[in-house]
Amino acid sequence: MDHVIKVQNLSKRFKIKQKGKGVSGSIKSFFAPEYKLVTAVNNISFSVKQGEIVGFIGPNGAGKSTAIKMMTGILYPDQGSISVLGYDPQQQRQELAYHIGTVFGQKPQLWYHLPPIDSFNLFAAIYDLPKSEYEKRLNLLVRLFEVEDILQQPVRKLSLGQRMRCEMMASLLHKPKIIFLDEPTIGMDILVRKKIRELIKELNEKEKTTIILTSHDLEDVEQVCERIVIINNGKIIYDGPTVKLREQYLHWKRIKIIFAKKTNELKLGLRYCTVLNKGNDEFEINVDTRHERVQKVIERIMSLQAVEDITIIDPPIEEIIQELFQKRHYGTRKI
Amino acid sequence: MELAKYSALARISIGNNLVYVKDFFMSSLFIGIILFIFIQLWTVVYGTEAEVIEGFTLGMMIWYLVLTESIVTSPGRLIEDIGAEVQSGTIAQHLLKPYHYLLFKYVTTMGSTVLRFVMTFIIGALLAFFFVGGIKVTLWSVPIIILSLFLALTLHYAFMAAIGVMAFWLEDAESLYLLYQKTIFVFGGMFMPLDIFPAWLESVSKALPFSYVAYYPAHLAVRFDVNEAISVVGMQIVWISVLSVIAWALYRFCVKRITINGG
Repeated sequence: MDHVIKVQNLSKRFKIKQKGKGVSGSIKSFFAPEYKLVTAVNNISFSVKQGEIVGFIGPNGAGKSTAIKMMTGILYPDQGSISVLGYDPQQQRQELAYHIGTVFGQKPQLWYHLPPIDSFNLFAAIYDLPKSEYEKRLNLLVRLFEVEDILQQPVRKLSLGQRMRCEMMASLLHKPKIIFLDEPTIGMDILVRKKIRELIKELNEKEKTTIILTSHDLEDVEQVCERIVIINNGKIIYDGPTVKLREQYLHWKRIKIIFAKKTNELKLGLRYCTVLNKGNDEFEINVDTRHERVQKVIERIMSLQAVEDITIIDPPIEEIIQELFQKRHYGTRKI
Repeated sequence: MELAKYSALARISIGNNLVYVKDFFMSSLFIGIILFIFIQLWTVVYGTEAEVIEGFTLGMMIWYLVLTESIVTSPGRLIEDIGAEVQSGTIAQHLLKPYHYLLFKYVTTMGSTVLRFVMTFIIGALLAFFFVGGIKVTLWSVPIIILSLFLALTLHYAFMAAIGVMAFWLEDAESLYLLYQKTIFVFGGMFMPLDIFPAWLESVSKALPFSYVAYYPAHLAVRFDVNEAISVVGMQIVWISVLSVIAWALYRFCVKRITINGG
């Protein structure tokens, strides 16, 4: 299969103006501005095959959005080369625009006061779509995204989830070969997230669209992508199949418990659980899901004490990054 | 195909802007108040003795002001809008579409600009009629005056676009805009016809491109002259071309230095 994206030794630094405190600081920074150089992307290389779904993940400010913006041609790299569908994104941004779609979770492209259908019609004109082809495409997408009822409502009156579905549709009208989704699920509730994830997968299966997705939510990426690229401090620290990442690093669940009664110590007698006393009757338990079922751990806890509150979460991305660096594992000692 | 794209953009922008018609009306009304003050001021200046000042009767002076005010204020908050797009990062969405940002901005801004111009002009014209009456305009000159006014708005846009794209680089181009605005007020002839200036300043101001935004088109409207009309329209086209090239070059320079904020 062909590589549709090739990135080599890409780097980008930002100059950030530093300002001292108060009026004197402002005056000083006006006459002799001091800059701090921040390296957003630091010498990264990777390539993407046609039809892949690749998830870029990392904490806020890790450089994933900067990387996407350089791949689409709106940011200029300091070093390195990028080729997207054979185009140089910076030199041929407008030509490339016909073949890619972009969705930014926080940057709407639909006209705020008008119904989505008006924006869709506009994009059809902008992308030079022939009328019959556009109508066919629109009908297909309307069914897929289930937006019949909201096509005529002004965008400002739509809910976040409805709006995001329309935003995605707008980026798909011209049948892009690659679609870049930058934080598409930001601020959405679980059900809407699930729907968006399903749509992304369906699109990839039906149209063989290459998908580049960024998120700071591990679950999004884990559910959708076959391949994960983890970026931290501008560097790629993991690039490989999701399955492998899951086996090696994502085999932890975290259980948070608050007991109804004062409890100083919690003895579970389970080998693959680590218990941490957080004080104030609150405990955190790390469960190694390769060896222990979460259900069993919870049953054990319930049998020991009256529980006031219990939550099961994935360990945050920052911890996985830390683990990737240190190859550190949560202890398997018996408590 | 290109033309179809931009006309579709112009149409949708008018639709989107109709929501703001009330806001437009309020700002036009405010400009009406300023015009009212100027009418009072000039009435006092002309007093009872002066019939004509530098070739302008009181009526011509007031109609001149109605036109210059309408032109200069009609692009609204174009530069603030570009600055806001840069600061919020929504500029990314426009840079990722197959159209040129400056042309996109031109066609989407001109819709509301023309709308605002017409509203301010109507309010100003009503005031002028009420206080000083109408002025004589030959019918066949009207299309040429309208053409010159349209070119003035386009030149005004080209200036503002050149300043606006600096926001890509500076994040905030409003201080530059204020400088330009004051230049138009004085050297563009918005506050008073350039003929009133001392001779040397008059000739300098008339040679500068700012005069083609306000002074010349308004002057044409109140004192039409065929030869002047031809040279004004010609010079407007020349200056629009020059400023478009400058704006385009600045865009090329600044777009490489853009930092897309957020997300």
